Amino acid sequence: MVLNMKEKQERHGLLRLIAIIVVSICVIVTGAFFSLNAFMKGDITGAVLGGLIALIILAFAILVFVRGQEDMKNGLPLQDERSRRVMEKAAAKAFYVSLYLLLAIGFLSDDIIKFRDVSQATSIAVGCMALLLLIFWAYYNRKEI
Amino acid sequence: MRTRIKELRARHNLTQEDLARKVGVRRETIVFLEKGKYNPSLQLAHDVAKALDSTIDEIFIFED
Repeated sequence: MVLNMKEKQERHGLLRLIAIIVVSICVIVTGAFFSLNAFMKGDITGAVLGGLIALIILAFAILVFVRGQEDMKNGLPLQDERSRRVMEKAAAKAFYVSLYLLLAIGFLSDDIIKFRDVSQATSIAVGCMALLLLIFWAYYNRKEI
Repeated sequence: MRTRIKELRARHNLTQEDLARKVGVRRETIVFLEKGKYNPSLQLAHDVAKALDSTIDEIFIFED
């Protein structure tokens, strides 16, 4: 019974690690395409930003992969009740704050912030949501919970 | 909340990683438990107590 649980946990960890890598590769490839497309159109700022985001995600993906593999080799789970609780709290708070952020983007667009099109506004909003999640995760990961 | 995990872990010659492996959590969780900065579930408190041959109320001390 205990062995089954451990095997299940290891399989779950491996699947999670593969999922993280696949999602990271998709985001990196998208970032690279975006960067290349912006460069071809002569938008140097967009190209640099896209490339920078892709590089940051690549660095995080490598870090997560190396640490995850190390933990799996040592027989430690990739996720436990504390890390789940931290992620749940961070996600809930990021969602709550992002509601106001999206409202602000909606109200401020056209008059104060000039977006190229809806796609750019959506990309910035999603990017801000991801950044909020990262900030709240870092906060709750250090805080007493 | 105060815990005696560090003391009991040393008595059992266990590293944080050994204890984490025994109870099936990440090493960081043991670090936070030792510092009293994480309120574990009843299941985890039970698993930690069992791994350290002790009881929950001997390990987790709540101060008013």
